[in-house]
Amino acid sequence: MATEARERIEARRRVQQREAPLAIRDDKDDEMIVSFPEFIFKEFIVAVGMTVFLVLVSIFLQAPLLGKANAAMTPNPSKAPWYFLGLQELLSRFPPLMAGVAFPTFVIVLMILVPYVDKNPSRRPAERKLAIILFALYSMIAVALVVIGTFFRGHEFTWDWGWVLGSGQ
Amino acid sequence: MRLVRAAFDEIYALLAQMVSSLFRHGLPLTDKIAARTALTNFVLHIHPVRVRRSWIRMSYTLCLGGLSFFLFIVLTVTGLYLMFYYVPSTGHAFQDMRDLQFVITFGGVVRNMHRWAAHLMVITVWLHMARVFLTGSYKKPREFNWAIGTTLLLITLLLSFTGYLLPWDQLSIWAVTVGTNMARYAPIAGPFTRYLLLGGTVVGDNALLRFYVLHVVGLPLFGFLLMVVHFWRVRKDGFSGGL
Ligand code: HEM
Repeated sequence: MATEARERIEARRRVQQREAPLAIRDDKDDEMIVSFPEFIFKEFIVAVGMTVFLVLVSIFLQAPLLGKANAAMTPNPSKAPWYFLGLQELLSRFPPLMAGVAFPTFVIVLMILVPYVDKNPSRRPAERKLAIILFALYSMIAVALVVIGTFFRGHEFTWDWGWVLGSGQ
Repeated sequence: MRLVRAAFDEIYALLAQMVSSLFRHGLPLTDKIAARTALTNFVLHIHPVRVRRSWIRMSYTLCLGGLSFFLFIVLTVTGLYLMFYYVPSTGHAFQDMRDLQFVITFGGVVRNMHRWAAHLMVITVWLHMARVFLTGSYKKPREFNWAIGTTLLLITLLLSFTGYLLPWDQLSIWAVTVGTNMARYAPIAGPFTRYLLLGGTVVGDNALLRFYVLHVVGLPLFGFLLMVVHFWRVRKDGFSGGL
């Protein structure tokens, strides 16, 4: 009898360890509810809202269509799509092997490894200061590079204040 | 009169049977039937039957994963419409885009929706990743779903990038030229990868066809399969719940 109880406690402990511990939450207003219709309805509303938003934007905001592609006429500057501008920005600053290959590979591999590198079992923000600071840094650098590539790079991909100061182009 | 009445009843019963056969459950008037609704309805069965209130608090997920998926669906539907009119060859592509813009009914709006939804999806997927990171939701036992998610992020970027070439205007060909030039820097594999991707050394007819096939078949198919596994893992690993 005693062993059985101990085993059960042991098993529960193992299950709890497998799950990262949750922050305390007030179980009083955190009841189990049937997901239909409340949850499904929320999703439905969000989907409808998104559709309306997209249709409105698409009526008023025209997607770009420049002249027909011409392999003999290189626009200056030539820019990659905005989500790759961070990479292009790096390429303009560092040797290609480093910026174009080593760096992106490193970021992707590190990203996949994040759950194994981060051994801290807690999910509370207060106990994950380092992880959050690192992620914030990474995000800020990524966003800054994209913003620079988009707005502050002009002719020959050199620095250009034109977008802010209104001159140039 | 009685005959009309009987016929009417008959038709009504038939219609009722047709409608009720669409669903495997009655109207969700009680919790029990509502639970059965979620359990036995094909569209809804990817949802858990019962959830904690904190799990579906919008301030937790901000709906970002769901929105990414919804945008993927919007892109599939609008993309199908564009495919009716678009021919992936350097002789046709640009004129087809102009026709979509100026001639075809709703062509302009559908093209715009496809374009803006694609940009938006890159953003929502990225923010979804940020949410998962900041809530520590990648921790045991969800490590692998994070890896699947990373692959989904890459596929989203590649989908967007391959689509960028298709209008065949000055913006698309040069953006793709710059983008694929980056691949060239990888030692040994780099130039080869670029050649494989473009089907040549310049962005021309072969590149357009390859990007098109990847954009409308290869990447969406692979992405969809990964999403199915992603959702399955969210259910099986258990949703991480509120903080
Ligand atoms: C096409 C892209 C993606 C789609 C459609 C998608 C969809 C979803 C959905 C619907 C959920 C349920 C919870 C929620 O809405 O937040 C979810 C959870 C999750 N996603 Fe994604 N996702 C995508 C990309 C990613 C990326 C890029 C990552 C991370 C690198 C990721 C990691 C996760 C993880 C770890 C969970 C479980 C979170 C938890 O239990 O709290 N996903 N995803």
